[in-house]
Amino acid sequence: MPWRRHVPGLLDNLIWFILVGVILFFATQSDKFLTPINLRNILAAAAVLGVLVVGQTFVLITGNFDLSTESTLGLSALLGLWLIVPAVAPTWGAGLLWNPFVSIAAILLMGAIIGWLIGSLITYGRMNNFIVTLAMLLILRGAMLRFTEGNAVNGLNFPPAQVFYSLGSAPAVTLPWLGKLPVAVAAMLLLFLIGYVILEHRPFGRDLYAIGGNRAAAVASGIDADKRIRQVYVLSGFLAAFGGWMLAGRVASVQVDLGEGYIFQVMAAAVIGGISLNGGRGKMIGALGGVLLLSTIDRGLNLMQVSVFWIQVIQGLIILIAMFIDAQKVRFRAPVVDTGATATTAGTAASTAPAD
Amino acid sequence: MNDPRLGNVVEMRDIVKTFPGVRALDGVSFSVRAGEIHALVGKNGAGKSTLVQILTGLYPQDSGEIFVRGEPIERMTTTRAKDVGIALVAQHARFVPGLSIAENVFAGSLPRTRGGFVDWSRLHRDSAERLRRFGLEIDVRRRMEEVTIAERQMIEIARALFAEASVVILDEPTAPLPKHEVRMLFEFVRRQRERGATFVYISHYLEEVFELSDRVTVLRNGQLVGVTPTSQLTQPTLVRMISGTDVERFRRPARGGLGKPVLEVAGLSRPGAYEDLSLRVHAGEVVGLTGLEGCGNGALARGLFGLEPLGVGRVLVDGKPYRAANPAEALRRGVAYLPRDRHGLGIVGIRSVRDNVSLSVTDKLANALGFISGRRERSLVGKYIASLGIKTPGMGQAVENLSGGNQQKVVVAKLVATAPRILLLDEPTQGVDVQAKVEILRIVDELTGGGVGVAIVSDELGELTDVCDRVLVFYRGRLTREFRKGVDEMTPARILAAIEGEVEEGVDAVA
Repeated sequence: MPWRRHVPGLLDNLIWFILVGVILFFATQSDKFLTPINLRNILAAAAVLGVLVVGQTFVLITGNFDLSTESTLGLSALLGLWLIVPAVAPTWGAGLLWNPFVSIAAILLMGAIIGWLIGSLITYGRMNNFIVTLAMLLILRGAMLRFTEGNAVNGLNFPPAQVFYSLGSAPAVTLPWLGKLPVAVAAMLLLFLIGYVILEHRPFGRDLYAIGGNRAAAVASGIDADKRIRQVYVLSGFLAAFGGWMLAGRVASVQVDLGEGYIFQVMAAAVIGGISLNGGRGKMIGALGGVLLLSTIDRGLNLMQVSVFWIQVIQGLIILIAMFIDAQKVRFRAPVVDTGATATTAGTAASTAPAD
Repeated sequence: MNDPRLGNVVEMRDIVKTFPGVRALDGVSFSVRAGEIHALVGKNGAGKSTLVQILTGLYPQDSGEIFVRGEPIERMTTTRAKDVGIALVAQHARFVPGLSIAENVFAGSLPRTRGGFVDWSRLHRDSAERLRRFGLEIDVRRRMEEVTIAERQMIEIARALFAEASVVILDEPTAPLPKHEVRMLFEFVRRQRERGATFVYISHYLEEVFELSDRVTVLRNGQLVGVTPTSQLTQPTLVRMISGTDVERFRRPARGGLGKPVLEVAGLSRPGAYEDLSLRVHAGEVVGLTGLEGCGNGALARGLFGLEPLGVGRVLVDGKPYRAANPAEALRRGVAYLPRDRHGLGIVGIRSVRDNVSLSVTDKLANALGFISGRRERSLVGKYIASLGIKTPGMGQAVENLSGGNQQKVVVAKLVATAPRILLLDEPTQGVDVQAKVEILRIVDELTGGGVGVAIVSDELGELTDVCDRVLVFYRGRLTREFRKGVDEMTPARILAAIEGEVEEGVDAVA
């Protein structure tokens, strides 16, 4: 059965086949689907999610979780604006009137510090990553309430705030046919590219895979696993803050629940994209595929005017189907290579012979 | 033992099993007589596991017949295997570590009170009584994770026998065990045989095959090589049957003109591990560190590598004071360590051969901008695949898919790539087939040619006497004897006597 050999490779890139299939399906359902404006919308909607997924992918590769990113994202968007705008209605800021550039630098730094704190609790404090980031999810969300006292912070009519909005709203490059692609999309794609290069081509990335694959062996190979784990949380926190800055430009007015529930989409995108929740497996490029797929489905169902009551159910089902197909990989895993006579042919011929 | 009236409990005839691209079993016949301990041996990939998996109903055979107590079994499944009394005891017994022994023994069928709650007193009474029937006096309230691995295996065997298994298959049971526990386990297995139990025993350790088994079946490349009463075999004959060629023992010639000491330890103590150790390893020298489990030799190696505290005392590497807080520091100072626990500490199984080999040196493979140079990495990994004879379809293959011997070579390659000054090898040939054993020892020899000092922590005395220039014996945390090749009579028997605590007067400290 020579075809079996190609199955694992096919399954590894499954996400792209599903994506193409889904796009074709929607194209047949709505003639508005394959239009520049719709595709731009899909990409624009994917931007913030994508930024969070890049950060989450680093964390997941090491075999850890970061549930807190949606709160870091919300808090950054809110705090960044809050520091810039006046304290009175309708802006409801702190009245500190910070320079927007300083404010942006401050929230990015804050994101990194939150990440470092989480990483330190997990590594120095020997605490469970799931619980630490879950607690942080609640704490940071609570902090938002404290800052705004429940008000929505709004900088629309306050000119200095426009700088803060620029990342999320400004157009960037003009492409043929597609038209003006937002800065946010370009930034997201660039981050995926950087993430990809780091994971694949830098010693740092190799260390992360090794830690996720077998932490004890990684340490015994001279890798400082604790330091690396702190670093991935710093990255994740930084990118969450970056995403918050980006999201602020899309919503203009920041409510206290901004970003709530994002974490489910982040995890779904990463997992659909082939990032293993057990760590050690998965590629950045696959995670991008997961982001695009979720975003495409969301837009497509919208265009088809599927009832909002069904959209979540359908998204859930698609995640399950993708995971089911992914789980079939084990059936096609590469064989054990024998030391016996079969070894010479094992590379090309063997496919499912068991360990002996 | 072999009561002819009972005949064969299990008989497999002309079993053929093909996996895509591989004929795993090519007409193999295998029979087990009631009341015997039947060893099943062969290299990795010879077909032992496939045969056992067919016998336990994990896979169907392509053709061939299976009889249990003379009854033909149409289609063997895992439930059918259980019904006819075939039980497999895997190397790492399947237990719930956090539950008590009693709960594990009765897992799935805990006795209940009338109200539907667990009847604890009956559970403890019954499980203790069951185990006692098999000669196991154990406090059944203890948690499973607190008992030794050998005890776990004995409990698992007892559990299988209690479920009226007529044949218990032991798959490499001794690999994770220290020596003295092996003895305990063997005594237990023999006792159960006296009571009529039948065992199939799979192992790479030929000494154990001779010690324990009544008959031996040898497989090679999916074919039956022969079935022989163990008493009519010699070790060289058996090795020849297994490998198909004469695998020579690798005897490392004594190398003259040792270099400077690369490792010097003086008055090193760590409470509970070792006391007042003083030893030296020179460039180009192979030194064996042996003793009973827990005698301090393994702790010393782990301490030197920064996996455990090293204790108080003087340690020099290349003449300079040495101490490593973690493996990263040890590797920077040229101290490399091959762990005993290959799966736990040696390999990152799901990652590729490439990733594993270059794991400790990715920094050195990076170019000026900090990116790993693909070309340099490929040439490094390719070099080790070739020079160590790692059999893999390619660099991208996940290490978990390689055989034990090749996995071990990947770990060795990773260590050698760091260009160590001193190499600490903890049971380097564990779980590795005969041929790969020899190859690994040969690699060690080549390294010493390049001026590396090697210390081997092992209780494979035959191997130590074959490759070491000196063997140091640890007894309860102290160095008690030194054997020098060519000076002392360095034989396994003499070393064994020293290991077990026959301390000769006057020979106490070793330099």
